Amino acid sequence: MNHLALLFISNPLTPLEHIARHVLNWLHGTVGLPWAWSIVALTVIVRMLLVPLTVRQIHSMQNLQRFAPQMKEIQKKYKGDKQKQNEELMKFYRENNINPAASCLPMLAQLPVFLGLYYALKHFSRENPSLHPGSLSFLHFIPSIAAHTTTHWGGYVLLVVYVGSQLASSYYMSASVDKTQRTLLMVMPVVFVFVIARFPAGLVLYWVTTNLWTVGQGLITRRLMPKPAAPEKRTSRSPRQDDGDGGGNGAKPDPSGQPPAQPARSNAPPRKVRRKKAGRR
Amino acid sequence: MNLVLRVPAYLGVGLVWLYRATLGMLFPTTCKYHPSCSEYAVQALRTHGLVRGGAMAGWRLLRCNPWSRGGFDPVR
Repeated sequence: MNHLALLFISNPLTPLEHIARHVLNWLHGTVGLPWAWSIVALTVIVRMLLVPLTVRQIHSMQNLQRFAPQMKEIQKKYKGDKQKQNEELMKFYRENNINPAASCLPMLAQLPVFLGLYYALKHFSRENPSLHPGSLSFLHFIPSIAAHTTTHWGGYVLLVVYVGSQLASSYYMSASVDKTQRTLLMVMPVVFVFVIARFPAGLVLYWVTTNLWTVGQGLITRRLMPKPAAPEKRTSRSPRQDDGDGGGNGAKPDPSGQPPAQPARSNAPPRKVRRKKAGRR
Repeated sequence: MNLVLRVPAYLGVGLVWLYRATLGMLFPTTCKYHPSCSEYAVQALRTHGLVRGGAMAGWRLLRCNPWSRGGFDPVR
């Protein structure tokens, strides 16, 4: 039996660990970065490789938001039957030529890196016994990236940064219009903080870096790709238009030319708006 | 499927469940297909066994990329 086969039998994730360790060693030894910054650099490399995937994902997410009113309508219609709701949504995507934003592959592509890094950091001290104790520190507040996050007060700071960055990245990456799902995405980091507190600090560092990258990417793409045109702002004095353009209810125009799903306009007189007297302080 | 083929298939199903309970929770995402990739994997493993079902699940994961259109895609 050759060496490679033996590796797979002992732990199928060992090759991943070896790759992660080799890359870290290269970044530390050849490039000359400290260990903690090698992790940051590794994360940046991975995310740079995934840029084509994520840009495409953000693009389709913005496209998806234009159809939000109609999708909400479908969700409301099939509220009780999740299966039917999903099927109808998929049908709607197909009919309107929409490419749903979320897909499994970009997420899965990060999984091997994450697992490799996890094992590499777990066995870090064992593999590098001659390490100088200070060489594993990060920005003077994390004494060792290979130790559990909660072994030092700096780890708690890192965990707070993690929660903040995860919330920000969820905000940019959640394409779903489902309110429950969005809430879940927002609650999740707070729950997971208890899980990842047991992870090596370096892994949390990886996570924070990847989240910050997501946020930066979201900010840049939002600036570069113009948002779909917002409906014209109208006041109560504007002349009425009978083309059914949504009358300032926040609905975005539908590029497919279909009128957005909305309640029919009543023939009631225009709503009177009571204005506050000029009382600016 | 006979018992000999069913046991490894259920091991695969167990792995999918393990993924769902751990890493799937850490990397939340919504799939563009229905049923979702993990659900598809469970169904494919149960219907076609470890080898064919596993290959079908792998192929589905590769198809679940930002360039594909997604949609209703049940296990056949």
